[in-house]
Amino acid sequence: MSKTYYLAQSNEVELFKAAAEMDLPVLIKGPTGCGKTRFIEAMGEELGRDVYTVVCHDDLSAADLVGRHLIDENGTYWQDGPLTKAVRNGGICYLDEIIEARKDTTVVLHSLADYRRVLPIDRTGEVIQAHPDFMLVVSYNPGYQNVLKGMKPSTKQRFISLTFNYPKAEIEKEVLLKESDVDDATAQKLVDIAGEIRQLTDTDIQEAVSTRLLIYAGKLISKGFDPYQACMHSIVESLSDEEDVLEVLEKLISLHFEKNSNV
Amino acid sequence: MLHYWLEFEESIGKVWDKYLNRKVHKFHEEQRVHFTDISKSLNIFHHLMGGEKGKDLQVTDKRYVDTSRTALQKLSFLGKEFFLTWQDDDSIYLPASFAYFPTKEENEMLYYWLIAMSVHTNVTDKNLIEQNQKAMHYLTNKYSGFEKFYFNASEYLISKYEQLGFIKSLDEKTDEDLINDYPNPMWIYPSALTINAANNLNESDEDLTREEDKDESDVLEMKKQANQIDDKHETDGFLAFLPESLMSIFEQVNVDRMEDDTFDENALYHAEDLDEITIGQKQANLSSRIKMDFDLQPDKTLMYPIGKGHYIDEWDYLKNDYLINYVRILPQVNTNIIPIELPSRLKKTVRKIQAELDLLKLDRIKNDNLPYGDEINIDSWIEYSSHQNKSMHHQKFYTTFEKKTRDMATLILADVSLSTESGITQEVRIIDVIKDSLIVFSEALEKLQDKFAIYTFSSLQNKKVYFTIIKNFKNKYDDLIRGRIDSIKPEYYTRMGAAIRESAKILDKQQSANKLLLIISDGKPNDEDRYDGRYGIEDTKKAIQEVKKKGITPFCITVDLDAKEYLSYLFGRDGFAVVRDGQKLPKVLTEVYINLTK
Repeated sequence: MSKTYYLAQSNEVELFKAAAEMDLPVLIKGPTGCGKTRFIEAMGEELGRDVYTVVCHDDLSAADLVGRHLIDENGTYWQDGPLTKAVRNGGICYLDEIIEARKDTTVVLHSLADYRRVLPIDRTGEVIQAHPDFMLVVSYNPGYQNVLKGMKPSTKQRFISLTFNYPKAEIEKEVLLKESDVDDATAQKLVDIAGEIRQLTDTDIQEAVSTRLLIYAGKLISKGFDPYQACMHSIVESLSDEEDVLEVLEKLISLHFEKNSNV
Repeated sequence: MLHYWLEFEESIGKVWDKYLNRKVHKFHEEQRVHFTDISKSLNIFHHLMGGEKGKDLQVTDKRYVDTSRTALQKLSFLGKEFFLTWQDDDSIYLPASFAYFPTKEENEMLYYWLIAMSVHTNVTDKNLIEQNQKAMHYLTNKYSGFEKFYFNASEYLISKYEQLGFIKSLDEKTDEDLINDYPNPMWIYPSALTINAANNLNESDEDLTREEDKDESDVLEMKKQANQIDDKHETDGFLAFLPESLMSIFEQVNVDRMEDDTFDENALYHAEDLDEITIGQKQANLSSRIKMDFDLQPDKTLMYPIGKGHYIDEWDYLKNDYLINYVRILPQVNTNIIPIELPSRLKKTVRKIQAELDLLKLDRIKNDNLPYGDEINIDSWIEYSSHQNKSMHHQKFYTTFEKKTRDMATLILADVSLSTESGITQEVRIIDVIKDSLIVFSEALEKLQDKFAIYTFSSLQNKKVYFTIIKNFKNKYDDLIRGRIDSIKPEYYTRMGAAIRESAKILDKQQSANKLLLIISDGKPNDEDRYDGRYGIEDTKKAIQEVKKKGITPFCITVDLDAKEYLSYLFGRDGFAVVRDGQKLPKVLTEVYINLTK
């Protein structure tokens, strides 16, 4: 398998490696599509550890993380959850969008995320000492607005924090060139568009265009799709549903890529 | 007979007018694009281009330019006045409409072009050419769309207006007279004020060149001569007479307020009669035109000050720093209160909202391992079955869902400035709706058992920001609180930043995990002093940022329909709600709260 492509934005690779070595848990903050998940995958490969990803949601219970009893023809047996697996065998346990999980669920992480590095399992009475290669990584997107959704300070303060943002223009362009095979001029234009749209964040649109969307647009264009249409479908339409915002974004795209009247 | 003759004469006149217009104007009236129709989009575009979000877009007034006019233009009084695009610290000023080009798209594009230009230029009368050329090159290089537009448009303009020939062969050596001869509609010009200051323009000269009255004006802004004055100094406009004499006039004149409030047509009507409209630098704020301290009539309500007040900071965006202890907060409470029961007109709304709340399963908490309950928890059951010695193990494998009160603290901050006295309909004032909302909302929160407090604010400059306690977090919601809500009276102005900071301080002391600051307002922050326009907006913005830093969520509900632009700047896109029908405020307020905390 080819190596996962990841281009460092600043010091995050060194920091992550140092944290892995020192057995420190890591918290990653950042807007959607800025490369959080890709970063973890790349780091997992780099460090030679498996990555157990759990996408959190508000019905996620502690049993979904730790494990539960199941039944087969011989009766019941214990099945490890992803967290327990990582703790036993070593590897990176990556809890994506941790903010979505209920607060009482995330409390099981506490004993793992400090110096103890143990996971007690109530159901079986087992207390597992974490494998030396075990590493806990959680991520969340601070952009969502809901008063009741936030991380408990007692959870938050157990992690080394890494803040991700959309990459700088040059880096983003390089990522685009690598990921989507577009030519240099198109990549530059896409990055310009992204830079401009990101200035609307918070005031006119909820969240700005992600690197992921740019790559989608780039892929469509390199497949021979009309650039104007590609941007409209991959970037503009997914950002807003409001008429006036769409109109202006359309204008912006048409300034960069000529609108082909016969499409 | 005479009647026919008159009609005939009129139609001749119309033909003549049409002829002149076509000959001189060279405008494409059918393709005219108006600023007001696309102002919203332009605003977003301005942000897109990286413009400062605190800036406003506004319509410019007419500028007087000495041009060489053709005989026909002189005959029809055209060609001397122009709408130029310019900007200052507060706003970008754009012409009210464009009809230079034969298609709507191009006329519209001219607006977008000017917005983009304004972001990349900082024009004074010294560097007009250099700045505009630089921005033009930048834009045409970066955007193929602009490139195409610019070259087509300039070709077209040159072909129509030979005076604009200079656009083509422009460099530093180009004769300035040539450029000043006829303004380029695709350029950004310095503000009239800076030109006047630089050239020491003789104002009386301008007066002499005033044009004759015109018979009729179909579009108002087409015919007026504009004059811009520098009224930023506070000393200007001093009224040199004894206030008493003014008072006596007030006493004699019967002012029918309801009549006066239908101002729109009247203003337009009077404007049509004027030859010259002078536009000041200040934004509309009547209070700053006539400053007087009236002795307030003794009121039946008795406001009891709590302490001597304390000082808090204010943000000055011009200095980019805080003014330390600049604003004085005066907490007070109304002590002369008659407790009231829930008014019967609100009973129906309250009952309806409480019924809705019953349906909500707010934040269900799952309780596992119960001996009885709503449903079997499969995990507990398996655990039970997997147990070696079942008889020794407890048979608790049920789950129930339980409603729990939320760990929420909400502070409601209501704007009770004088502007809330204006009416939504003939009978209902904004303040009435705000009062009703506060009562309905309190009933709802009481039902939800959420913690809440209510404060109102109004201000008289930085010296007096009245911060009135209606209900603090410890007060029990009862008839007395309802009485306090009922006794709210509109007064003074809206120094929003100070009130927000004070509220944040109170919320910060609450132990709850979730804190919400709900602001009810009817318009922009403003006060008698310079707390108006951008200064007020920037200070409020700063205050909001401080609130967020404290882990408090701010949310604004407003009945100001034009509010969207500045509100999204202040609170972020999802941080506010505009209530179109003011009378629905009581219901909307509660719904917004539930949505925020669901």
